[in-house]
Amino acid sequence: MKTVGLPKGLLYYRYETLWKSFFKALNVPVMVSEESNLLLLEKGKKKSIDEACLSLKLFIGHVESLKNKCDYVLVPRIYSLEKDEQVCTNFNCLYDLIKNVYPELNILNYNIDVKHHKSEKKAFIAMGNTLGFSKLKSKKAYAFAKSQEKIEKEKKEQNQNIKLKTNKKKILILGHPYNTKDCLIGKSITDFLSNYPVEIIYSDIFNEKLVNKYAKKISPKVHWTMNKELLASFMYYKDKVDGVIVISAFPCGPDSLTNEMILRKKANAKVLLLTFEELNSNIALLTRLESFLDMLKGGIHL
Amino acid sequence: MKGYIGIDIGSISTKGVIINEDEKIIASSYLWTEGNPVLAVKKVLKELRQQIDEEIINIVAVGTTGSARKLIGTMLGATVIKNEITAHAIGTLSLHKDVRTIIEIGGQDSKIILLEDGVVTDYAMNTLCAAGTGSFLSSQAKRLGIRVEDFGEIALTSKHPTNIAARCTVFAESDLVHKLQMGYSQKDIIAGLCNSVAQNYLNNVAKGKKLESPIIFQGGVSKNIGVKTAFEKILNEKVITDENGHLMGALGCAILAMKKNVERPFSFNVSNSDFETKAVECKGCPNHCEVIVVKKDGEKLDSWGNRCDKGSYFK
Repeated sequence: MKTVGLPKGLLYYRYETLWKSFFKALNVPVMVSEESNLLLLEKGKKKSIDEACLSLKLFIGHVESLKNKCDYVLVPRIYSLEKDEQVCTNFNCLYDLIKNVYPELNILNYNIDVKHHKSEKKAFIAMGNTLGFSKLKSKKAYAFAKSQEKIEKEKKEQNQNIKLKTNKKKILILGHPYNTKDCLIGKSITDFLSNYPVEIIYSDIFNEKLVNKYAKKISPKVHWTMNKELLASFMYYKDKVDGVIVISAFPCGPDSLTNEMILRKKANAKVLLLTFEELNSNIALLTRLESFLDMLKGGIHL
Repeated sequence: MKGYIGIDIGSISTKGVIINEDEKIIASSYLWTEGNPVLAVKKVLKELRQQIDEEIINIVAVGTTGSARKLIGTMLGATVIKNEITAHAIGTLSLHKDVRTIIEIGGQDSKIILLEDGVVTDYAMNTLCAAGTGSFLSSQAKRLGIRVEDFGEIALTSKHPTNIAARCTVFAESDLVHKLQMGYSQKDIIAGLCNSVAQNYLNNVAKGKKLESPIIFQGGVSKNIGVKTAFEKILNEKVITDENGHLMGALGCAILAMKKNVERPFSFNVSNSDFETKAVECKGCPNHCEVIVVKKDGEKLDSWGNRCDKGSYFK
């Protein structure tokens, strides 16, 4: 059986369960790339243009580390997830970009463009077809994957709701999951926070049915789907937590817009904005985190 | 009597104080770091020692803050190693109990701290760009051939400050050269620079924050009367500067060291010891962490910089 490689970057963190369950239902073995590390980032940097964001550089590093290790590497192309909305251009061009950087690489691709009636379901059936599965088999696998994804989401939401009810100080980690969960970016922050008696709340664990309602509270129309979710999550959680840490990778177009919205409309919420670029020294980061925690504690603490 | 040392090791200057049990400063020292924090701290300790009577004052704890706080804290066996924001807030509060806003512009940092009833409610720091900080002013002073210490007085003599774009140091510099070539007078340009520092600070660091009175202005740049006046004009509020404004971080961590109530024997003879630091690249995993090892008289004191335990075994 042929192996599909999953680069542990960008969309992996959004679709982990969906992807893994889909391939599991089809009995296709998968191989996930290692956690992000500096060597992998160096490799990614060498292959990307300097204007690419840190997350994209890391993604290319992950693809590189899977090269020659599996039969396919999954690189989807997403143009739009909602009608009249868009996702970051990185996701529009990801397939073409990787194809150009690694012409020899065997890419497994699917294409979602809701704007032009190309749904996720159609995309997965087409992907199943590439791997040699019938329409019916792929359809069933997709249905199974969707149900697993739903169960996983509900479980996470329930856990998070329990965390929200504790008496500990709660900190919302707000950002794209490919940044907040990455070992070199957000995980260095959540690891630091785990030494303190605080509960960590993640912005991506959020009931999707509430997205439009809460996003409207900050702006009537947000064009970028993934950032609309971030804004909605911010409006939903901001009064339920003690502080918010916003994590961005540099340079991010949509984030530069929505982070500004958050800072202007935060009202009394305590927000710390951290932008990651090169990851050499973390002393400036620690100063900001420490003082942020001191502030949340209120008063003079040691 | 018990005494507590607080040391604030910044990028440009190193400040040290000794306080007594009433939080009063009984000795202080202020000198340039000159890229060598260890040497600067040795000098500070020497100066502090000369100002007190060791028969009467017994140093029982040390606190450090500033960008070299960890290194110096390890070196001196500090009981408190605290970030600059908290240290500044606590130091300032001990002298001005009702302070609501602290503006701090240093060598490469600028920050704002908002307080209410003696509790920090909000703060912000500049991003990694040093536009509008002390190093920007001193590089422009060099270009104009004037001592940066004289900037403030010259700025006050100007009646029509020139507009200078200060959002970015590079743009400001080309703007400044352009204005000089156009024939603007030097004092108007200097006043313009002071204005732009204040404006840049309010537009960036203090963006979206409400600055309530009393406002206290600290850090090296607060010694510049031109910038202080610019702040007062723009904010239409009185801005307080303190003769001891540069010592607030050191004072704050000395107070924290006192309040922590942990005593650790300290001897001024530590300045005679030989301290050595070295950077080792750990090859244990692909992250290649740079581990800093600090040695005192050839023996390892501590090491840091490693992401996991593997890095802690370096000698």
